[in-house]
Amino acid sequence: MNDRTSALKPNKSAGKSLLCTLPMLLLTFMFMSGGRPDFSNTAQFLALIITFAGVNVLFFLMHFTGKTDRYRAVLFIVFAISLSFTLISNMLETRSSMSFNQSDVLECRIPFCHLVIPMMIIPAAFTESIIFPGSIIGGFADIASMIILWLTATIVLGRGFCSWGCFYGGWDDGFSRVRKRSIVKKISDSWKWMPFAVLFMVAVTAALTLVPTYCDWICPFKAVTEFEQVTGVESAVKAGVFISLFAGLVVVLPLTTKKRTQCSFLCPLGAINSLSNKITPFTVKIDKKNCTECLKCVKSCPLFALTPANIKEGQVSIFCSKCGKCIDICPNNAIHYGIKGVPAGTRKNFSGNLYLFVSFLFLAVFSSGSIINTLQKLLDFII
Amino acid sequence: MKNIKLIAGIAWAAAGLLIIIMLFPGLGMMSRKLATLPFMKINPNFSGGEVGRQLVSPVCTLDIRRPVFDGLFSERRKGFVQFDWRGKLPGEIEDSIDYDFDSIPDFYVLIDTKESTTYLKALNPAVKDINVSAATSYGWALRVNLIRDPSTIPPGEL
Repeated sequence: MNDRTSALKPNKSAGKSLLCTLPMLLLTFMFMSGGRPDFSNTAQFLALIITFAGVNVLFFLMHFTGKTDRYRAVLFIVFAISLSFTLISNMLETRSSMSFNQSDVLECRIPFCHLVIPMMIIPAAFTESIIFPGSIIGGFADIASMIILWLTATIVLGRGFCSWGCFYGGWDDGFSRVRKRSIVKKISDSWKWMPFAVLFMVAVTAALTLVPTYCDWICPFKAVTEFEQVTGVESAVKAGVFISLFAGLVVVLPLTTKKRTQCSFLCPLGAINSLSNKITPFTVKIDKKNCTECLKCVKSCPLFALTPANIKEGQVSIFCSKCGKCIDICPNNAIHYGIKGVPAGTRKNFSGNLYLFVSFLFLAVFSSGSIINTLQKLLDFII
Repeated sequence: MKNIKLIAGIAWAAAGLLIIIMLFPGLGMMSRKLATLPFMKINPNFSGGEVGRQLVSPVCTLDIRRPVFDGLFSERRKGFVQFDWRGKLPGEIEDSIDYDFDSIPDFYVLIDTKESTTYLKALNPAVKDINVSAATSYGWALRVNLIRDPSTIPPGEL
């Protein structure tokens, strides 16, 4: 078990990687198809098969090549795009518009997302109610299911949720990978504390007004999901803010800095998830014996989770989303997924395989619904 | 101590694996359990509040909800009351409504459901103006802004 010299990358044993993929094949098949695939709808069946095969090929490649971040990002970005596609097509089918209107709010039919959670905690404690016009249970993206999914993933993965579960993160992750080199080289990492300020601000304003203020006024992802119908000056200002923040924090800044700027500088849920890194069993470890302090990992970290001081200490900061980019880039194999309590540099393969299995299983199954839906709609269009 | 930490860490990680495997098959059951908790209900500011009285006519019914002034710690000075017309609506809804059930009409409303226009005349100083008037899947919904205790507010603020 004590494999200090060997590491997760590269495995180069196809048989071993295939063996590790077998449980993933079985579980993803069970969870995606419910154990009983529906053969009656050709497009749906094909979409299921393509998604099932795709995620398992990615998992195999992740294991075989040892490149975690590269293959995680493929599924993560596809998830973000397909979820937006599913939401928008659903809105267009049912409402002929990407915007929701007053009757959707009055009838509590707005899809719930995990970004509302930081704002609903204080009102839930004091008023025993949820300040969101959505469905408690049943229907598309109901409140109870989304809370369970986020809570479970956050307890197990910590801020890993931001790189293995958040269906918005794929947008700025995707844009941060478009350019080979960054244009803006220097960007102060003290901005990474900003989400805590945003968290405080939205939690307090939401509690005082009993309105989810972040969703109402700030959320950049309204631009790629659904937003309030523009009927006056206020809703026009809101739409302007959503589009500007999306363009600035999710497109332009990630393109120029190669960092996930929305996740790093704005997301209030990211702040909560950072704190949950304290309870999760998994972490990223730096083996100081192998580290030459080349700082390639510091430069590549998309969430400012690594600083030269962290490298010296041999510990990543609470901002780490366990995306695996630093692990992929380290030339000395000094960074690896680890388990708390297990010393750095030991049981690398065991810890890495266990973390990858847990996190990838969550991402694969969580994303499969919207990917299958998107593929089915595209196949319906083609066939 | 190191061994205890090591075993505890690996046990917690293994538990994490089991939790994620159990998550998806158990999601429905866990969501239903969560939905039964006391705080898992939509705030009246969004749901419109409880139905206080239902008036039934041959073509449609009118649900008069209880006024909502809910704040974080206590009731707010400003709130609203919601009315839902359900069923087959006429082209025009014309009504004098008594929302506080004191047998005195509180406002007069005229809704043109075809043109989506609403006219409201307050007959009670607590009634302020229209918050929302919109077609819904079940008929029509009207929210009227209210002031909890108009006598305590200076005339300029009303």
